Amino acid sequence: MILFGILLAAIAGAFVSMQTVFNNKVNEQTGSWTTTMLVLFMGFVASLLASLIFEGKNTFTLQHVQLWYWFSGMIGVGVVFCLVQGMRRLGPTYAISIVLTAQLGTALLWDSLGWLGLEKIPFTPAKLIGVLVIIGGILVFKFGGRKETKSESPVAE
Amino acid sequence: MKGILFALLGGACITLQGVANTRISQDIGTWQAATITQLTGFIIAALIWVFVRDGKLGDFKKVKPLYLAGGGFAAIIIFTEVTAIQQIGVTLTISALLIAQLCLTFIIDINGWFGVVKQKMKMPQFIGLAMMIAGVIILKF
Repeated sequence: MILFGILLAAIAGAFVSMQTVFNNKVNEQTGSWTTTMLVLFMGFVASLLASLIFEGKNTFTLQHVQLWYWFSGMIGVGVVFCLVQGMRRLGPTYAISIVLTAQLGTALLWDSLGWLGLEKIPFTPAKLIGVLVIIGGILVFKFGGRKETKSESPVAE
Repeated sequence: MKGILFALLGGACITLQGVANTRISQDIGTWQAATITQLTGFIIAALIWVFVRDGKLGDFKKVKPLYLAGGGFAAIIIFTEVTAIQQIGVTLTISALLIAQLCLTFIIDINGWFGVVKQKMKMPQFIGLAMMIAGVIILKF
C-alpha cells in the first residue's frame, strides 16, 4: 500500500520534471503567461480526454460540485505569479530552494491538521525530523557547486 | 524579503493545488477534478494574457510540437498525485514526488536530453538526494 503510493508519487514527480523541461522550451520562444495559457489548455484537453475514456458519460454528471471548485484553477495561476516574482528577485537556486521547502512545510501542516476534510495524519517529532532532513538534502542538492540551470521555469503544471 | 515571501507562497500554493484536487476528487472523479482545475486555470491565464500580451500565439510555431504537448502531462500528474495523497497522505506524497522530480531533472541535465545544456555530475547532488531519501525513511518511523 505504502510502496504503491510512493510509486504513484514518483511517477507524478517524473512527469513534473519532464513537463518543466518541455514548458521551458516553450518559454524560450514566448512569455510566461503565453506559455502558462498553452500549458493549462493542454492540461485541460488531456484531462477531458482521459475523463471521456475512463468515465464516459459520467464525465458530465457533476454532483456535489461546490462553488469554490470552479475557482481551484486560480491556485495554479497564483503559483506562476509567485514563482515569476520570486525568481526575478532571488534567482532560480534560492527561489526554488525556498519553494521546495514551503511545499514540504505546507504538506506536513496539512497532514497534521487535516484541513479540507483530508484524513488527518497525526504529527510526530519523527515527521518533523524527516522533513528537516529532506530540506537539508534539497539545500545540499541546490547549493552544492553546480552552475545555475534554467531547468525550473515559472510555469504552471 | 518580498522575493522570499513570493517563493514561500508559491511553494505553499503548489501543495495546496494537490490538496484541492484531492478534495474535489472526493465529490467528482479524479479526471473530472483535473479537467475543472485545468479549465478554470486556463480561463484565468487567458484573461491575464489578454491584458499582459507577453507573447503571440504565432510564437508557438517556433517550438517543436512535442514540447507544446508538455502541458498534457498534467492529467497524469494530477491523477497519480491525488491517488498517492489518498493512499499515503500529503507529506509522504510530496516528499517522494520531489525526490523523483529532482532525480530525473538531474539525469536529464547530466545527459543533456531534450537539448538542455549538459552538466557534470557532482558529489553534492548525490549527497543531497541520499539525504532526501533518508528523510523519507525517517518520515515512515
